[in-house]
Amino acid sequence: MDIVGLARLQFAVTGSLHFLFVVLTLGLAPLVAIMHTRYAIGGNPLHERMTRFWGQIYVINYALGVVTGLVMEFQFGLSWSGLSHYAGDVFGAPLAMETLLAFFLESTFLGLWIFGWHRLPRGLHVACIWLVTLTAYASALFIMVANSFLQNPAGSAEMGGRLVLRDFGALFTNPTLVFALPHVLSAGLWTGGFVVMGASAYHLFRRTPEREFFTRSLRIGVLTAFIGSLFTVGFGYAQFGPVGSVQPDKFHGVIPGTALGLMITIGQLVQFAVMFVLAPLLIRDLLARWRWLHPLLMVMTPLPFVAAIAGWIVREVGRQPWLVYGKLSVADALTPGLTRADITASFAGFAGVLGLLALVDYVLIARAVRRGPGQVALGAADLPVTAEPVPAHSL
Amino acid sequence: MDIFWFLTFAVLLAGYFALEGFDIGLGVLLPVLGRSPAARDRLVGAMAPFVLANEVWLVALAGVLFGAFPVLEGQALSRLYPLVVALLLAWIVRDAGLWFRRRSGGAAWRLVWDGALCAGSAGLALSWGAILVAVARGLPASPLDAAGIAGGVALLALLAWHGRTFAAWRLQDGPGRSGRALLLSACAAAAPAVLVMAAAAAHMLGNAAPDQTLTVLSVMVVPVAPILVGAQVWVWRTFSRGALPTFF
Ligand code: HEM
Repeated sequence: MDIVGLARLQFAVTGSLHFLFVVLTLGLAPLVAIMHTRYAIGGNPLHERMTRFWGQIYVINYALGVVTGLVMEFQFGLSWSGLSHYAGDVFGAPLAMETLLAFFLESTFLGLWIFGWHRLPRGLHVACIWLVTLTAYASALFIMVANSFLQNPAGSAEMGGRLVLRDFGALFTNPTLVFALPHVLSAGLWTGGFVVMGASAYHLFRRTPEREFFTRSLRIGVLTAFIGSLFTVGFGYAQFGPVGSVQPDKFHGVIPGTALGLMITIGQLVQFAVMFVLAPLLIRDLLARWRWLHPLLMVMTPLPFVAAIAGWIVREVGRQPWLVYGKLSVADALTPGLTRADITASFAGFAGVLGLLALVDYVLIARAVRRGPGQVALGAADLPVTAEPVPAHSL
Repeated sequence: MDIFWFLTFAVLLAGYFALEGFDIGLGVLLPVLGRSPAARDRLVGAMAPFVLANEVWLVALAGVLFGAFPVLEGQALSRLYPLVVALLLAWIVRDAGLWFRRRSGGAAWRLVWDGALCAGSAGLALSWGAILVAVARGLPASPLDAAGIAGGVALLALLAWHGRTFAAWRLQDGPGRSGRALLLSACAAAAPAVLVMAAAAAHMLGNAAPDQTLTVLSVMVVPVAPILVGAQVWVWRTFSRGALPTFF
C-alpha cells in the first residue's frame, strides 16, 4: 500500500473506532438525563438506580470516545497538512468551535456530573447531565458542519490557490448537512435504545432479581429505538435528493454501493421488526415475559453499530478521490515529506493501542451490564480526605 | 484581531500547564507517593475531579490552532510528527489508566492501570518538554536530540514538583500545603510555555487566518467565554475541599 493509502487507512480505522463509541454516547446521554430528571422530580429510588446503572455504562463508553477523539483532532495536522493549508481558513472554524463551544464544556460538565454525587444540590446535578447532552449534540453539529463542508465546500471561494470564507451561515445550511445531521443523531438514539434493550434482555433472560428494573428499562430501550429508527430511516431516504444533486456518482463504486445496501437492508428490516413486532409487544409487557425472544434481542443489539459504520463508509469512500469535493484531492492533501516509516509507526501505534483499549472497554461494559444495578461504582460513597490513621500513627 | 487570538492561544497553553501540569506530575509520582493501593486511591481521588476539566485545555488549544492559525497547525504538527504521535499515545495511555483502574476487581488489574497512568504521565511530560524546546528553536528538522531530551527531563521534574504541591494542598498533608505554594508551582509550571510563546509570537502573528475567519470565530466564541470560565470555577469550588470521590 502506498503512503496515501496508509494514511487513509489510519484515518478510517481511528475514525470508525471513534464513531462506534460516539454513536452510543449520543444515544445514551439523553436517556440518562431523562432518568436523572425523573429521579430529581419524583424521588423514586428506582429512578436513581437507573440513572447510576445506565450512567455508568454511558461513562465507561465515553472514555473511549474521548481517547479516540484526541487522535482524530490531531490527525488533520499530522497526516493532512495540505487540507489546513488549502482550506483551513474555512474548515478550521467549525473545528475550533467544536473544541471551545462543545467539547470543552461537555468534558467539564461531565466531570462535575460524575464526581458531583453527594456534593452538588440535586437540581444543579441534573443540570450538569443536561448540559453534557446539549454539548454532545452541539459537538455532533459542528463536526457534521465540518464534514459537510468537505462533501460540498459551501460558503467559500478560492483566492490565490486557497479557500477563503465567504458566508459562514452557508456552512450550516449546506444541503449535505441538513438531513445528514438528524440521520446521525437518530441513528445514535436507535443505538442507545438497542443497547438498553439488549442489556435488559440479558437480565430478563437470566432471571436475575432485577425484574422490575429491567422490564422498565426494556420498555425505554424499545421505545427509544422505535423513535430513533423512524427518524433514521426517514432522514436516510431524504438524503438521496441533496446528495444526488451535489455528488451525482457517489454510490456507483463497489464499496459505497455495497455499504449503502448493507445499511439500508439493516435499517429497513430492523425498523420493521421494531415497529411491527417489538413495540406492539410492549403492551402488557409481553416482550419482557416472552423469554424465548430475549436471545434474539441480544443478537440484534450490534446491528445499529454495523449500519452506522457502513453509513460512514458510504459517505467517505463515496467522496473519493476528493478530500474537499471537486477542489482538493486526498493525494494532494497529504503532508509533504511524510515518510512510510512515519505513517506505518503511527498507524501501528494508534490502531494497536486504540484497538486494544476498545476491546477492554467493551469487556468492561459487558461486565458492568452483567454485574447489574446492585454493584455500581458511579455515585458510590466518597473516601475521607484524611488518610487511614493506622499506618500513619504507628510510625 | 490576530493579537486577540494569539493571546487566547497563549493563555490556553499556559493554563494547560498550570492545571493539567499537576495531574501529569501526580501521575508521574504515583508509585513514589502512593506505596500502597489505598494510598494511590487517595492520590488519584484528589486529582480525579479536575482531570476532565484540565485536559480539555489542550483540546481547545488544538482547536484554536486549527481555527485561527491553520497554516501553522499543518506546519507545526507535521514537523513535530514523532513527538506529537508520542504525546498522543502517552495521553491515551494515561487516560485509559485513569478510567480503567477501578473498573475491575483484582490487584493485578489495578497494578497494570496504575502503571499505565504513571507511564502515560511520564510520556506526556517528556514529549511536551521536547516539543517546547523544538518550538523555541524554530522547529528543527530532527527535534529529538540531546536538547530535546534535556527539555523533557526538566519539564518532568518541574511538573512532578507541581503535582506534589497539589497533592499536599488537596490532601492537607506534607510540606508546602498552602494555597500560595500551589499558586507558585502553577506559575512555575506555566513559565516555560509562556517563554516559548513569547519567542514564537512574531511568527504566529504573521500566520494568522484572515480577518473574516477570525471575526466569525470571535462572534461565536466570545459570548460563550463567561460560561467556559464559569464552568471551570464551578469545578474548583466544588472539589477543592472535603471527601475524595472514588470513581477513578
Ligand atoms: C432505510 C434505511 C437507511 C437509509 C435509506 C439510509 C440512507 C443513507 C444515505 C443515503 C447516506 C449517505 C449520505 C452521504 O453519502 O452523504 C447515509 C449515511 C449514513 N447512515 Fe444511513 N440510511 C439508513 C439506515 C441507517 C442506519 C440504520 C444507521 C445506523 C443506525 C445509519 C447510519 C448512517 C450514518 C452514520 C451515515 C453517515 C453520515 C451521514 O451521511 O448521515 N443509516 N445513510
